[in-house]
Amino acid sequence: MAKNGGGETIVARGVRVEGDFVVEGNIVIEGEVHGTINATGDLQIGPEAKVDADIRAENAVIAGEVHGNMRINAKLDMLPSSKFSGDLAAEILSIGAGAQINGTIRMGVEEPVKPARGKRAAAVVAEEEAE
Amino acid sequence: MYSYFYDTFLQDRKYERDVALLETRLTDLGIMGKITRLALFRDGLEVIRDEIEEGAQTLVAVGDDATFRKAIEAVGDTRTVLGYLPMSNKSVFADLLGIPTGVAACDILSARLVQEIDVGEVNGRRFLHALECEASDAVVSCEDSFTLTIPGKASIAIRNLAFPDDAGVTDPTDGRLSLIIRQSRFSLFGKKSELSKLPFKRAHVFTDRHVNMFVDGGEKLQAKEFDIRAIPGRLRLITGKGRKF
Repeated sequence: MAKNGGGETIVARGVRVEGDFVVEGNIVIEGEVHGTINATGDLQIGPEAKVDADIRAENAVIAGEVHGNMRINAKLDMLPSSKFSGDLAAEILSIGAGAQINGTIRMGVEEPVKPARGKRAAAVVAEEEAE
Repeated sequence: MYSYFYDTFLQDRKYERDVALLETRLTDLGIMGKITRLALFRDGLEVIRDEIEEGAQTLVAVGDDATFRKAIEAVGDTRTVLGYLPMSNKSVFADLLGIPTGVAACDILSARLVQEIDVGEVNGRRFLHALECEASDAVVSCEDSFTLTIPGKASIAIRNLAFPDDAGVTDPTDGRLSLIIRQSRFSLFGKKSELSKLPFKRAHVFTDRHVNMFVDGGEKLQAKEFDIRAIPGRLRLITGKGRKF
């Protein structure tokens, strides 16, 4: 995982985030997130976290529960405690024994799985496609 | 042109020698300028603003953190360079900016290492260091795009420039503030502190009742709603090499 010093975002257990969550740098989620997550850095979802969101990030390590579509530009690591439902796309995928995945998996990431739900997230996708 | 303003407490006889030493050193370094003494019945902010209007290019606050806070407020949106000569041993700003206490600070002033630093604003009131409050069931709306709901009691801090700790280092030149939320949880294994951290440019803090928000460790604002934003690179400060950023 890349490190970016003081720019890291942490959502602790008990804190709930709703909306288009745009993060510059890395993010660690131990609480709840509903909406979309767009991180320019790496994403880490803890074992007690609950995420109902479309996700875009550089690398990701998932240990908790995620519902939504996920697009990871580089490596996605699904730990044994993780539960995922939705469509996912990643360049490299690692699945631990016991991890639950329900949905489609696309490797190589030639095109996005689906545009993210939020306005900002959709704008980010549109910008990238235009490039 | 340097313009110095002395806080009222420096008129006390116990500071006579320190002030004399300071003035001698400033003269030796060739950076002596106009001296204005703040007085009990004169509005300090107005006095400092008058100095800026009269063309002071470098304002130097001589006193303690309260004096420096006044100067930050008075400088506002002008491009006036701000210096600090701390005369009190307990100075948070001096430690953060790497400025020693007393006469030694004159050398930092003379070296004139000017840095453009962000300032924060809460309900129209500027701050350099941090905001702190204790709130319950607070909601924070960030960048008009997402909200954070913080159930139960929490200690909320908004930092611009702070000492490094478990929440990491804050960079007062990145154009953002850091929201730090601390919550205590009790379990069979004892008390555990949970830390949330989020950089932002603009946020609104809503609380269910009036809370005291401490600005830069001093003045307190009492409200149920706080509008907070970062103003990038607004303050031009003379800092020392030992600064904490």
